[in-house]
Amino acid sequence: MASQVVREWIGINNFAPATQDKLLELLGKLKQENVATLTVLVMGKGGVGKSSTVNSIIGERAVSVSPFQSEVPRPVMVSRSRAGFTLNVIDTPGIIEGGYINDQALEIIKRFLLNKTIDILLYVDRLDAYRVDNLEKQVIRAITESFGKAIWSRALVVLTHAQFSPPDGLPYDEFFSKRSEALLKTVRAGASFSKRDTQVPKIPVVLVENSGRCNKNDKDEKVLPNGTAWIPHLVETITEVVSNGSKSIFVDKKLIEGPNPNQRGKLLIPLILALQYLFVVKPIKQAIISDISNEKRLSWEVDA
Amino acid sequence: MPALAAQTHLPTATNFPNSPASRRRRRIPPSIAVSNNPHFPTLKCHQSSSSQTPQPVQSNPSKPHIKSIVKALALSSSVTLVLKFCSFLGNGDGNFGGGSGGGGGGGGGGDESGGFWRRFFSPAALADEPQTREWDSHGLPANIVVQLNKLSGFKKYKVSDIQFFDRRRKTTVGTEDSFFEMVSLRPGGIYSKAQLQKELENLVTCGMFEKVDLEGKTNADGTLGITISFNESTWQSANRFRCINVGLMKQSKPMEMDADMTDKEKMAYFRSQEREYKRRIDRARPCLLPESVEREVLRMLRDRGKVSARLLQKIRDTVQKWYHDEGYACAQVVNFGNLNTKEVVCEVVEGDITQLVIQFQDKLGNVVEGNTQLPVVRRELPKQLRPGHVFNIEAGKQALRNINSLALFSNIEVNPRPDEKSEGGIIVEIKLKELDQKTAEVSSEWSIVPGRGGRPTLASLQPGGTVTFEHRNIKGLNRSILGTITTSNFFNPQDDLSFKLEYVHPYFDGVYNPRNRTLRVSCFNSRKLSPVFTGGPGADEVPPIWVDRAGVKANITENFTRQSKFTYGLVMEEVITRDESSNICSNGQRTLLGGGISADGPPTTLSGTGTDRMAFLQANITRDNTKFVNGSIVGERNVFQVDQGLGVGSKFPFFNRHQLTLTRFLQLKQVEEGAGKPPPPVLVLHGHYGGCVGDLPSYDAFTLGGPYSVRGYNMGELGAARNILELAAELRVPVKGTHVYAFAEHGNDLGSSKDVKGNPTEVYRRMGHGSSYGAGVKVGLVRVEYAVDNNSGTGALFFRFGERF
Repeated sequence: MASQVVREWIGINNFAPATQDKLLELLGKLKQENVATLTVLVMGKGGVGKSSTVNSIIGERAVSVSPFQSEVPRPVMVSRSRAGFTLNVIDTPGIIEGGYINDQALEIIKRFLLNKTIDILLYVDRLDAYRVDNLEKQVIRAITESFGKAIWSRALVVLTHAQFSPPDGLPYDEFFSKRSEALLKTVRAGASFSKRDTQVPKIPVVLVENSGRCNKNDKDEKVLPNGTAWIPHLVETITEVVSNGSKSIFVDKKLIEGPNPNQRGKLLIPLILALQYLFVVKPIKQAIISDISNEKRLSWEVDA
Repeated sequence: MPALAAQTHLPTATNFPNSPASRRRRRIPPSIAVSNNPHFPTLKCHQSSSSQTPQPVQSNPSKPHIKSIVKALALSSSVTLVLKFCSFLGNGDGNFGGGSGGGGGGGGGGDESGGFWRRFFSPAALADEPQTREWDSHGLPANIVVQLNKLSGFKKYKVSDIQFFDRRRKTTVGTEDSFFEMVSLRPGGIYSKAQLQKELENLVTCGMFEKVDLEGKTNADGTLGITISFNESTWQSANRFRCINVGLMKQSKPMEMDADMTDKEKMAYFRSQEREYKRRIDRARPCLLPESVEREVLRMLRDRGKVSARLLQKIRDTVQKWYHDEGYACAQVVNFGNLNTKEVVCEVVEGDITQLVIQFQDKLGNVVEGNTQLPVVRRELPKQLRPGHVFNIEAGKQALRNINSLALFSNIEVNPRPDEKSEGGIIVEIKLKELDQKTAEVSSEWSIVPGRGGRPTLASLQPGGTVTFEHRNIKGLNRSILGTITTSNFFNPQDDLSFKLEYVHPYFDGVYNPRNRTLRVSCFNSRKLSPVFTGGPGADEVPPIWVDRAGVKANITENFTRQSKFTYGLVMEEVITRDESSNICSNGQRTLLGGGISADGPPTTLSGTGTDRMAFLQANITRDNTKFVNGSIVGERNVFQVDQGLGVGSKFPFFNRHQLTLTRFLQLKQVEEGAGKPPPPVLVLHGHYGGCVGDLPSYDAFTLGGPYSVRGYNMGELGAARNILELAAELRVPVKGTHVYAFAEHGNDLGSSKDVKGNPTEVYRRMGHGSSYGAGVKVGLVRVEYAVDNNSGTGALFFRFGERF
């Protein structure tokens, strides 16, 4: 699986010329910073549009999308290279099943990611959801437990279905900020950043609209209701995050399995043994001796 | 015997030779003064119902000691145990040859000594067959009074009834009076004139009566009514009481008094006798009788005023009752001295042990040289059985139990018998029959397993079974080698052969050292289903993992008490984990999303290969002071166990795995102890902590759930963790000979499931913690309980063997 053929990024040609220019410019910028490969991990609940987002970024139908069910039973890595720059996008199946985290799916994702470096995490959710539910928290916690807190400093929150009119005439920007604020709060809680934690990373929120009916501007770029062309904006944000100084996450065995509990406290064993002897074995022995002396003796046993 | 002498020293000679009464009322002490060569017959409990036993004996079941022996018998399980006890049958002429024969050999008391036995039991024996009409009519007119000497010496008279007439009080004494027991005649018995005369003679010499006569009254049907009229002896009142132990002292023999002595000589003679008696009292040792009994006797003396024979009898009974209740079965009041003074002196032979003899017998009962070394037996005996102590039946029972627990003997008898060389002394004889040293046993079973097509075929018959061999008591020091091999198929024993070979070496510090340490070395193997690889509720069936262990174990056990002990030793073992098809597997299996099975579950071993070898030290200290109060267990039990890895083995395992179990059985109500009394309600509190620091292979992880962890769940259903805590409470209420109980239990992994490699708790979808509650009833050995588990909220009925705690 790891040795997938790295194909030429042809899909980029499908983008509008303005988008192409912007993308190439950003890639060039990354190359200047000695980033020749970029691995993007896409995670989120099922049915929020992870695969569509991947397809949108790549610019071709790299992963099959089905509107009703998960077509992606296991993670898929799509690699495209352009002018010496390789972009790896890892699409994952939704890790929620029946209201709970599917541990096996998560396990499979972890194993798939073994010995890979994750540069960017795209946490995908829908914009047109009104409430942050418990599932969200679970997913975020599962991600944190799997890859550690540090991954959130390399994360972007991606809200799909951005082309949507907020209910009750709420201004679009206000809805967006409210929604993203609620989500970020959940992320912070789920990733268990405490309030005192000074290193709370600022997680950018990006809007995405994968639909073919997405509005376009005069340069034929796909734009959001607020007027920004989202693909360049997304890539730009990614670039910013990459260059924000944090380290990318290398997934090794230790990270997946956590610290080896068998090693913990091993040096203390002689001390533990000594304490056990002094504070457990000895008192019990004393208690036995006092039992013997307190034993009720029959009258014939006492005399003589 | 001169009248005066008899009155100052009254031997409590209330025993009569050949009297069923003396056998029945065995508390009546023998007259040691009279019988210079008494034999103490031994009674085996199973002999008490022998055909020789006559009706009168059986009809009176007041045999406390036989009863207690039956209890002792019930205590021992497999071997027949007989605690012989001393039954002091009074026997004036010492003709008791058949006594021991009747007790021991059954037939031994046959014709040879049958003369005695016939006489002994003759009234009843004859009364058994009245149809033969072996008695003769008196041949006299009815309703006339006949003097004893007027009766014919050739006739056998049938006695219709016996009456006692107190001349002083001018009343007829009821049958409940203490004098009645002194007469061996029974209504309905058949006696010759000689027998009646002998009876009278005994009554005269016993010292209880100043005057006694026996007359017959003829009845119309040819039988004879007997009237015994008497004058009770009395002495001047006393206000002091003293009890002395005259055991092992020479019996003072009264000097023959010459009839021709002058008054002066007589005075001198009595004075010397008195002096001698004083000396005797001074020499006597103090006795065990507590002050409370002495006070009771003193009260009796004060209440009565005059000291009468009846009162003395009562005192004797009181004193003896105390001794016998305390278990001093050989204690006897032999004499009352110093009568006609202010002080009553009660002479007691307490039954001092002069000698302890250990004997081995072969199967036929011959004395042989045993294989067992004597110190092995001797160290099991309570010190109260050693010479210098007073024999106590409880000590004898204790000895019996202790020796029985050695499991070396098929028959054990603890038998006190009188010491012929020293008056009043007891020789404790311990007779042992040894078990065979070498035993081998094969038990087999055939199992028919389904062959092809599900039908049993001949080829599918599998011979299985167990071969056991044992070499016991090596070198006579109770060392033993025990081996067992079990397989379900002897044709293919490699499939499931399980074996155990054990060498036990007791008295590790030497047989004379009071320290009781036992060395055990054993080779073993075992195969168990791992509860670590079990699914949670509702999860698909998890493919099972078998854990095979084989190794060598050497440990030393030090017993502090019967229940508390300390064990420490070294274990070296190889652990192999196998899957369903007996292939070695290194990881647990798990079902994938799509339903497939992948073998990359949690690792089963530390090494990751499916085979671990390791050596570790193991120590276990158990403190257990539980005891039974009317059948329900009360007390506390603490167990601490630690396995300390040594870093020797695959992947150099170094760990400290420890468990502490605390159990309290709290008695909620004070109850009177005794057989048949109801047991108290008991609250059981139980806590178990298990933890491990260092390398922890999954087969050593602590599992939660199961009948001995958290009831209501399956084994391991709640999880497998590095540290666990289990808490339980159970309330037991006795109901009609059994008990009902209610319980609540909780088990928690303390968040340590993730610290087991591969997190089997999570992989197999288990909660990691859980509670349950329920109630049940104990029916015999089986507990029937209904338990509700709080994780799913559902309940189920369980049948379990044995106790939870």
